[in-house]
Amino acid sequence: MLKINTDSIIISFKNLRKILFSNLFNSIITLLIIVLISVSCVNTFEWLIFKADWKVVISNLPLYAFGSFPPNEQWRPATWIISLLSLSIFTLCGPEWRWLRKNLLIIWVGTIPLGLYLLYGGIGLSPIMSRHWGGLTLTILLTVCSSFLSLPFGIVLALCRQSSLPLIQKVSSMYIDGMRAIPLIAVLFFGQLLIPLFLPVGLEIDRVWRAILAFTLFVSAYIAEDIRGGLQSIPNTQIEAANSLGLNQYQIIQFVLIPQALRIALPALTNQSIGLFQNTSLMAILGLVELLGVGRSILANPEFIGQYIEVYVWLACVYWMVCTIMAVLARHLEQRMTINQANF
Amino acid sequence: MEPIVVAKNLTKSYTKGLRALDNVSLTVDQGKVLVVMGPSGSGKSTLIRTFNGLETFDKGELNILGITVDSTHDERKIQKIRRRVGMVFQQFNLFPHLSILENITLAPVQVQKRRQIEAEEHGMYLLSQMGIDSHARKYPNQLSGGEQQRVAIARALALKPELLLFDEPTSALDPERINEVLDAMRKLAEQGMTMVVVTHEISFAKDVSDRVLFLDSGKVIETSPPDIFFSNARHERSRKFLNQLDKN
Repeated sequence: MLKINTDSIIISFKNLRKILFSNLFNSIITLLIIVLISVSCVNTFEWLIFKADWKVVISNLPLYAFGSFPPNEQWRPATWIISLLSLSIFTLCGPEWRWLRKNLLIIWVGTIPLGLYLLYGGIGLSPIMSRHWGGLTLTILLTVCSSFLSLPFGIVLALCRQSSLPLIQKVSSMYIDGMRAIPLIAVLFFGQLLIPLFLPVGLEIDRVWRAILAFTLFVSAYIAEDIRGGLQSIPNTQIEAANSLGLNQYQIIQFVLIPQALRIALPALTNQSIGLFQNTSLMAILGLVELLGVGRSILANPEFIGQYIEVYVWLACVYWMVCTIMAVLARHLEQRMTINQANF
Repeated sequence: MEPIVVAKNLTKSYTKGLRALDNVSLTVDQGKVLVVMGPSGSGKSTLIRTFNGLETFDKGELNILGITVDSTHDERKIQKIRRRVGMVFQQFNLFPHLSILENITLAPVQVQKRRQIEAEEHGMYLLSQMGIDSHARKYPNQLSGGEQQRVAIARALALKPELLLFDEPTSALDPERINEVLDAMRKLAEQGMTMVVVTHEISFAKDVSDRVLFLDSGKVIETSPPDIFFSNARHERSRKFLNQLDKN
């Protein structure tokens, strides 16, 4: 066993040598690149371990996580984030209990009201205004709420675009094409600055909800296109079969078209939600203190002035981690579906 | 006794004056099996698909199970017909995202508002009739073509139809899988199911059908009992077609 291993290592080593050091020129290039890589590695590690002052991160950890949430209530957002994390872990490697697997989606959806309750307070908890929300908590809240709202809206838009009624079809096409022609930052500006002007006096939407609304309006246009792609790849014979069984139009949409379209569009939808998560950082410019906003406000503190690299490296790590979790969850979902999925 | 299907002068034309159906008239009585034969493009599929409203027609009148539809294609009447008529397709057309049993119970639960448990029991009974009850929890892509087609038959039977339509049910199957489907259909015919079958399977037509209708370019060339049609067809066109079929 061991012998085969060493043999294969020697063979691959020989192959490597053949490819990388075949002549003088290749050898020089190879050596140069090795030197470059090692120098940059050494420098990076040197900076990470000796030069960087991680105090700006370590002493502000609660700030990154919860923003200016009152310190003695910070267990509330912490509970929410931990429950999301443990639910992710459970989804990925939890036991195969049938009843639980079936209801996993409902539990996931249930984390949204749970999060809102924990953040807002109310029954039994002291109420906390949304201007105190911030940090990773706010970033996740923006992502989760916007994704959750834009999915049904996107489905409706996609269905309308496929509609046989010209008016509905035109209006939804115009909406989708229009939204896709506007940069996200403009939509967010509109949400933050113009919506309050349009609303009647006395009616006010919270800033966080204005952001969620703007994200939803924007992302649902893209989701609609992803789902339209899914809908169009369902063969017409599926509709005929459903028709021949006496299902009506709405039943066909609900039981035959949407489930299949969602499965086909799933990879694209994952992309959208990861993109959405990263795009929430734009709200830092518009005055919400989400993860990036917290970083900026910490950098504005005289005590930590100039420590850009530490803060942004740390933020990049956090964004990377959450995105990876999302991607892994989505891949897991895809795999579970392809077990049962037919080849069209 | 009221016939199950009465078609009077059905005509469907495409632009350019091509006719998919040309004055087609026929009747199918209760418990009878009508086999529709004809070269490809002769309008067989179009004809059978008008029976449950998957195709429209321009002229003529159709009476299915006492419900009369004309060229106006009244949605409500067609829905009524579809609840009482089952259909089996060439490509099975099972729903790939649903398990075999869910495929079968979808329509009874959603259309006929039957209870889930009751629909599942009936579904399992139908699957055992088709000899595939061990696959109930599997998904369509895990089954062979013949098994999928038997599931499709069970799905069509789940609404307890009074008429079954088969649109080339064996054309997409491997030769050695054809018989398991034909046997299932034979069994149904023996149980007295009224069926209209588009097929090229001569043996099935000979054994099971009560009449064979031969269609060419949308016209009914002849309607004969199978023993006459296959041994001594009245028309030159039918004989030519049968010769061709024998050669293949």
